[in-house]
Formats: sequence, structure tokens, C-alpha cells
Amino acid sequence: MNTLYRRPAAFALNDPNVVLTEADREASAEIIPLTQEHDIEVSAAPIARVRSRNRFGWATVFWSALGALIALAIGLAITQLVEDLYARSQALGWLGLLLAATAALALCAILMREIRALVRLSAIDELRDRASATIVSDQRTDGLAVARELLHLTRNTPLLARARKVLASHVDDIIDGADMVRLAERGLMAPLDQEAKRLVSAAAKRVSIVTAVSPRALLDMVFVLVTAFGLMRRLAYLYGGRPGTLGLIRLMRLCVAHLTVTGGLAIGDGMAQQILGHGVVAKLSTRLGEGVLNGLLTARLGLAAMEVTRPLPFVALPQPTINDLAADLLRLRAPKTSDDDQ
Amino acid sequence: MNDPISQIIEQALMGARALLEFGSHLVNPTVRLGVTGMSDAGKTVFITALVHGLLHGGRFPVFDAMASGRVSEARLAPQPDDAVPRFDYENHLRALAARRWPESTRRISELRLVIEYQSQRGAMRTLTLDIVDYPGEWLLDLPLLEMNYEQWSAESLLLSRQPPRTALATHWHDHLKALDPLGAEDEQAALTATALFVDYLKSCRDQRYAMSMLPPGHFLMPGELAGSPALTFAPLDVPHHGAAPEGSLWAMMRRRYESYKRIVVKPFFHEHFARLDRQIVLVDVLSAFNAGPEALLDLERALASILACFNSGRKSLFSAMFSPRIDRILFAATKADHLHRSSHDRLEAILRRLTESSLQRAQIAGGTVDVIALAAIRATREATIRDGHGQLPAILGTPVAGEIVGRETFDGQTEVAMFPGDLPDNPEVLFKDLDAFRGLTMASAQDADFRFLRLLPPALQIGQSDERSFPHIRLDRALQFLIGDRLQ
Repeated sequence: MNTLYRRPAAFALNDPNVVLTEADREASAEIIPLTQEHDIEVSAAPIARVRSRNRFGWATVFWSALGALIALAIGLAITQLVEDLYARSQALGWLGLLLAATAALALCAILMREIRALVRLSAIDELRDRASATIVSDQRTDGLAVARELLHLTRNTPLLARARKVLASHVDDIIDGADMVRLAERGLMAPLDQEAKRLVSAAAKRVSIVTAVSPRALLDMVFVLVTAFGLMRRLAYLYGGRPGTLGLIRLMRLCVAHLTVTGGLAIGDGMAQQILGHGVVAKLSTRLGEGVLNGLLTARLGLAAMEVTRPLPFVALPQPTINDLAADLLRLRAPKTSDDDQ
Repeated sequence: MNDPISQIIEQALMGARALLEFGSHLVNPTVRLGVTGMSDAGKTVFITALVHGLLHGGRFPVFDAMASGRVSEARLAPQPDDAVPRFDYENHLRALAARRWPESTRRISELRLVIEYQSQRGAMRTLTLDIVDYPGEWLLDLPLLEMNYEQWSAESLLLSRQPPRTALATHWHDHLKALDPLGAEDEQAALTATALFVDYLKSCRDQRYAMSMLPPGHFLMPGELAGSPALTFAPLDVPHHGAAPEGSLWAMMRRRYESYKRIVVKPFFHEHFARLDRQIVLVDVLSAFNAGPEALLDLERALASILACFNSGRKSLFSAMFSPRIDRILFAATKADHLHRSSHDRLEAILRRLTESSLQRAQIAGGTVDVIALAAIRATREATIRDGHGQLPAILGTPVAGEIVGRETFDGQTEVAMFPGDLPDNPEVLFKDLDAFRGLTMASAQDADFRFLRLLPPALQIGQSDERSFPHIRLDRALQFLIGDRLQ
């Protein structure tokens, strides 16, 4: 073993080769040799992700080709328009060109923003995957990376100023991977979870009230849709994502997919009582029943959105359930509904 | 011992006590935490640091109840057991403040802590934590309860004839040859034999050899029974089966061995060990590295023997008594601060390997067992050293006077940077054979593959408001594992 391993040795502190690992100089000075399994672990998650996205399909080809055609058509139409304008008057032509250029510029900016938002969202997804992997592997370097990234992600959240400071002070401590992830979750996610729960329950309440009092079914459908998107957007902002329109659509898709997957399971945990309860309420008043049901559905959607937008999995903290929110929803609505019915 | 009626009475008493305690625990929840380990493993330091941290709201980010602010207060309470000495927390703390390591554990002691906390749901609760500190050597006595004198003699002799022990046991072996087990009983012969036997045990424990498997434990830590006949016996070269003639040396030794079990081992067992709820076993793996592969193998044997106490299967008498009690056992490799953090996982892997076979049995039996590398008080800082080939992960600390690395001898004043040697990625390398690595047993301090020096405690101003606890490594994780679930 002598050939493989380094010999013990001692050095005086004034030896120029001795470099202190100061607490505040942290990462740069600290050498943590990456062991092999570590390398594999880190690269494993992104690979799985990329593979799932790289599926080749004729549908993709069709949509891309169609999209390109439409883009060409629009380009042609605009060129045509500008040419027509020039034919009519020089000044109008310039104005048209200017407007077209401005529009193109704005489109570029919007596209950039959307892309950045999407990248950010996928970074959050990846962070969540890595956190889950770290809980299992308990690798210290991974845990540290997750904590650092989380600190970076939430650097603009004013709610967390103190929590960030506390967590940052523990980054240099010797804490194992899984413990570090739990620590980060308890510190940074707890206040956000509270806020998220409040947002979800407020949205659910709004939806159920509007459904109960709105004169037209179409109106409440529009309202539910708008509220759902608004809720999702606010949750994403809360947890550090900045979804644009595309990002929001993607989140909604994930969310609905999530609901269809977990929906079956969820019926066991409380949904049955909710629906039975809804039946009782519906006996009292149809509209009130619809209101409660819509509220509950919004709450479910909100909880799914929480899971999709949260950068860490629920490990150290309990995951909020529909029961937590439903109690809130029914209790606070009671006095108002009695007014409505009279 | 083998008398069925006394067995039944014993079990009935144990049952009655357990029932009584169960009742009182409903009103006043109590956890009895056993802290043990071979001498020099760091039991006293562990308890002192733990109590200090709890009392002063130390920096325990991983200890959930404390980190989330649910623990409102922890305080010392009067020691509950009148027959057991109190753990001398205040003196040990003073020693640490003066940069001395506290005196080591020589006997059992106990300390009671009351933790006031708020449960997750918001109710105010208290948890009484009784910390019981006892030498790990005593655990090695428990297997004696199932052995008779002849079996024990044969086993001890076999062990003492293996290298490197055989060299240490020469004097005793010489004396043994001259003894006639069948001869008339002779107090002087017994005294000499015992003295030589104890000398042999003591030299095995020297840091050059760092042997762990050294029963009977009370020979090394006699306490108030020192010199009494129950502690004056030694193994004899006698056949496995066979009756000792009346009045012979053999008969005398056998009688005393039985008294040892009756007077020393069993009371400890009933009064203390059987009443524990949680147990942490501190293991000084690093000193075995210093000594050599023999010490590591010996440590493995000792740990297997200790684990067998916790979990000696359903069929034996003893398991029936304590199988319902200890439900969490933590094996902790202490002095992790002597290694750079990049090596902690390897240290943990090695301890896991040491306890592996026994761990599997314990996990099947329903108890939760975990293995961590910790330092109750962190005496070092970290650094990197540039050398010709790259960077060495090193630690900074002040070695005690007289320690040697390479060609240097330290004076106990200067702080130095040390690289203690690389732990292997794969623990199996170390257990391959007796030439796996060189330790102090076979080589000089210059040639050893690992050098973990004894270091002075960190210089701290204890009691200052900004320094609320000792620096530590994973003490909070140990706490979370041991009592975290009782503070939900």
C-alpha cells in the first residue's frame, strides 16, 4: 500500500506551502477531491433529462415545418406590406420599415426572456432531482452544491434574508449531504411554504366565492382559468422561478400531468371525504356546492403547482395536504355563504 | 446463575421494574442514553461537549428540535440514582477550558438533564435525559456470563498466544508453566498470576499495540473492588471439561471467577445496562491505525463482542431482559477532526466494515443502527499543503509534547500542519492480511503508514457569550439520531 498512498508528514505553519482553509475563503481554497462515484452521480441526472427531451418524432417535424412555413408567410406578408407602403410614399415606407424592425427587435427580446425563463425552470427541476439524489447518496459535496445553488436561486427573496444568512454560515461546517439538504429545506423552504399555502388557499377561496355568486357558467370558467394561471405564476415567482408565457404553459402541463399521476392516489387521502362533503353542501345549495368543488379543485391544482415549482422535494418538512386547505376553505366561507343564500 | 429458580426470580424482578418505569415514563418521559467505548475513545469529552452544547444552546444545525428553536431550555437536574456517582461535568469543563483533556472514565457515572421543548403541534413538554457513562471494557464482561471458567481460560490463553500478544505475555506464560492447577490452593500463587495477567492486559492496551479485546474489563478498571478475591484470579491451563478437585488451585480460581460474575458483572448488567434506551458506542479507530493491522482485527473482535451484548439472539436468557429496551445504537468513530473532511467518508466506511457482520444481525432484530464519524470537540482546523505532486489535505493542531512524526518530535506548544496518511478508498484493503499496512506494533514511528497524533484541546474562552459551544463535527447528527425522535 506504500506505493499507492501518501506518507504521513508534518509541516511548520510558517512553511510557505501551507495554505490555510479559512472559513470565509471557503470553496476556492478547499480541495475536495472528486471521487469517482461522485462524478457519475453528478452526470447521471442531466443525462436522464436530456434523453427524455431528445425523443425524435414525426409530430415534432410536422410542427416545426409548419411553424417555419407560417413564419415565412408572416415574413413575406410584412415584406409585401413594406413594399406596398414604399410604392405609395417614401415616408410611409420608412415608417413601415421602422415599425417592422421594432417589432422584430421586441420579438427577439421576448424570445430571449422566454428562453431564459425556461432555462431557469429547468434548472429548478434539475436542482430538485439532484436534491432527491443527494438525500439517497448522502455525498457531502453534492449536498453543499445544492445548498449553494439554493442560496443563489433565492438571493432576491426578501422573505429569506435571515434564513439565507443562517444557512450560509453553515455551508463551511462539516455536514453530510442529506443533512445539508434537509437543513436547507428547513431554513429556506419553511417560510416560502407558509406563503405558498396562503396563496393557494386564497385563490381557492376566491374561486369558490366567484363560482357561487357568478351568474354565468362561462364567466366562472374564465375566472377559474385566470386564477389558476395567476396562482401558478405567483407560486413560481415565490419559489425563485421567473416563468414567462411559455414557461407558464409548460408548468401548467407538468402540473396537470402531475395531477393525473397522483390523482388516483389522492382519492385515498382525503379527497373522498371532500367529495362526500361536497355532496352534503350541494344538497343545501347547488351553487354553493359547485363553488366548494371548484375551490377544492383549485386547491388541488395549487398543491400540485407547489410541488412542480418548489426547488426541493418535501423531505424534512411535511407536504401540505388538501385537508389542511379544505378546512380553511370551508370554515372561512361559512358566514359569507349564509348571507348569499338569504 | 444456572439455577432456574433464581433465574425466574431475576426475570420477575426485571419485569416488575420495567413495568414500574414504563408507568412513570408515561407521566414523565425519560430517555436513558448509554455512552460507552474503550478507554481513550472519548466518552468523557463526548458527554461534556454534548451537555455543554445542550445547556448553552450550541450550534447544532442538524439537531432539528434545537435548530428550529423548539427547545426552550435545557438544565441539569439532581442525579436520580443514589448508588451511582454523578458525572463530574463541571470539573471536566474546567479541564477543557485549561486546555487539558478531562480525566478518563474509570467507573460508571450518570448525569440527568431536563429538556423543555415544544412539540411540533405546539404542546409544551419536557424530556428527561439520563446520560449513563460506563467503560466499554465492562461490556466485554457480559459474554463471560455465558461461559464457565474452563471455557474462559481456554479462550484467554488462545488469544494470548497470538502475535503480537504472545510477546507481551511471556512473563505470565512462564509463570503459568510453573503452576500446577491440581495442586493445593495458594493465595500467593494466585496473586502473582493475577498481577502478571493484569500486566499483560495493560501492556496490550499501550498505544503501540492498541488492543481492544481485553476481558475481564474490571481488571483494567477495578474501582473499589481492587485487591478483593473476586478480582484475584487468572486463566489456568486446564482441560475444557473436567471437575476441579476439592481444595485445588483450579477450584479456587473457578470459585473466584464465578464470584466475579456474580458480584461484578451481573449487578452492572441488571442495574444499568438492561435499563438503557439508547446507546452510543464510541470507537477510536484511529489509534488502531496507529498501531497496526493486528489492532484493527482485535478491534473488530471487540466490536463483535459488544454488539453481541446488544443482540445476543432470542434464545439466550439475557436477550429476553433487554431486547425490548435499546432501540437505537449509534457507532461513532471518534476523533474525526484528526482527518481532513475529505477522508471522513472513508473513516465511516471502515467503521461500517468493522461492524458489518454484527450490524446485519442487529438490523434484523428490529433495532436501528447507524455509523458516523464524529468529533465531539474539534481540535483542528483545515489546510492544504502544496507539495511536488499536488496538494495534500492537511489539518492544523497542537500535538501534545513528545509526539513524533517523521523525524520531528513536538514540544506541545507549537501548532503544526499535519498530513496523517491516506485512508484507502476500499476498507477491505486494510483487512487483507497482517501486512496490509505498517503500524507502531511492527515499525518505528518514522516508517508507520498512519500517524494520528494526540492533540491538545482547542484554545477557547468558554463562557464567553459569543462562543456558545465547542466546535464539533457531527455531534448534532449524533444527537438527532439518538434523541431527535423523542423531541418531535
